[in-house]
Amino acid sequence: MLKVIELKRTVTDSNDRDAALLRGELKERGIFLINLMSAPGSGKTTLLSRTITDLAGEAAIGVMEADIASDVDAARIKALGAESIQVHTDGMCHMDAGMTRAGLEGMEDRPGIVFLENIGNLICPAEFDTGAHKNVMILSVPEGDDKPLKYPLMFTKSDALVITKTDTLPYFDFDIEKAASRAKALNPDIAVFPVSAKTGEGMRAWEDWLISSRGEWNDA
Amino acid sequence: MDSNRSFDTLEVRAGLEAENESFAALVRERLQAEGAYLINLMASPGAGKTGTLCRIIDALKERFSIGVLEADMDADVDSRTVAAHGAAALQLHTGTSCHMDARMTLRALDSFGKLPEVIILENVGNLVCPAEFDVGADLRLMILSVPEGDDKPLKYPLMFKVSDWMLINKIDTAPAFDFDFARCEKNVRALNPGMRIFRISAKTGEGADAFTAALEEEISASMREKREAKNA
Repeated sequence: MLKVIELKRTVTDSNDRDAALLRGELKERGIFLINLMSAPGSGKTTLLSRTITDLAGEAAIGVMEADIASDVDAARIKALGAESIQVHTDGMCHMDAGMTRAGLEGMEDRPGIVFLENIGNLICPAEFDTGAHKNVMILSVPEGDDKPLKYPLMFTKSDALVITKTDTLPYFDFDIEKAASRAKALNPDIAVFPVSAKTGEGMRAWEDWLISSRGEWNDA
Repeated sequence: MDSNRSFDTLEVRAGLEAENESFAALVRERLQAEGAYLINLMASPGAGKTGTLCRIIDALKERFSIGVLEADMDADVDSRTVAAHGAAALQLHTGTSCHMDARMTLRALDSFGKLPEVIILENVGNLVCPAEFDVGADLRLMILSVPEGDDKPLKYPLMFKVSDWMLINKIDTAPAFDFDFARCEKNVRALNPGMRIFRISAKTGEGADAFTAALEEEISASMREKREAKNA
């Protein structure tokens, strides 16, 4: 057991170094990398699709789709005309900095926003720094407002929380205020955006945050 | 990624898998010796594991003694809910671990003393890692909920391959989502032709009786087999 813990620490330390290096290099190249994390089926691809459409002309957006297998998401993004690349983790439950670097090497080298759509998982991705400049997580209404209590690390590590599928609120006992205050109790700086990527409600506030965060990063 | 590192990872992983397998065998021995039945319940966060669990407890508690192992990461919200339904609940904190393995399960069983007849392990909310670890259960039961989408078998194939039974939960919310039941079930059967699939709403109870009746039958048959094996 002790051996496993030691090994894990070694892996995490070396990942932290790789991530810091990648983050610096991407800054030089003007690539603003966002690590998008959530549970399976919370609407990562739908949120991205809507964001890409809404921000057409305002920002060049590329997407790295990380999946265990399959390429259904990359095909959806490509259909919108955005650059997309599919990364297969082959069973791995998260992306790390080395895998992210390998994925970026398959993409065009031009300034813009790149989303890393991480594996659908609320646990493991939170433990691995991918080299991203911002971590964004999604919690969807059907998952329930108790998730910050159960998966605290993900909420602690994220800069923004997007609450998706707000159009389905009538079907669920989900209290947006409660979810937001539980997230803020773990992470007072987290920005919270309730949206429905289906109807478009709330999308502009999230997109404004994205553009302004990129501006601040650019100027820093 | 450099090739050295993936080599290291593989080696460690093979060792872990062998170790897990030997603990899974111990779990099975223990279940056989005491004639108990273990269900490994797996799903994404928020798919309705606890709600389903409460349905199972309510349906089976007259017939069997029931124990629940709650493996949620860092909260005791669920074990309080479960205890309120009258089952012996044991809260396990896995820390930052993303799945239960057989060794953790064996240790958790020890803390029951004499085993309840039916033990339900509510695994960590995760469609990836729990699929890789055999905990020695008699039945691997997974839940997919309607809001997650019908494409999940394509994206998380291993979970659908290793499960024996599958529940499609939250069918009461179907009008709000574009969930194609036929497509979903077809994708599941392509991965796992023997999968037994039930459509339920743990919230309204729709479809739950058919599922719990089948479960009761399955448990009874397994217990009979265990008794016969013991007497043989």
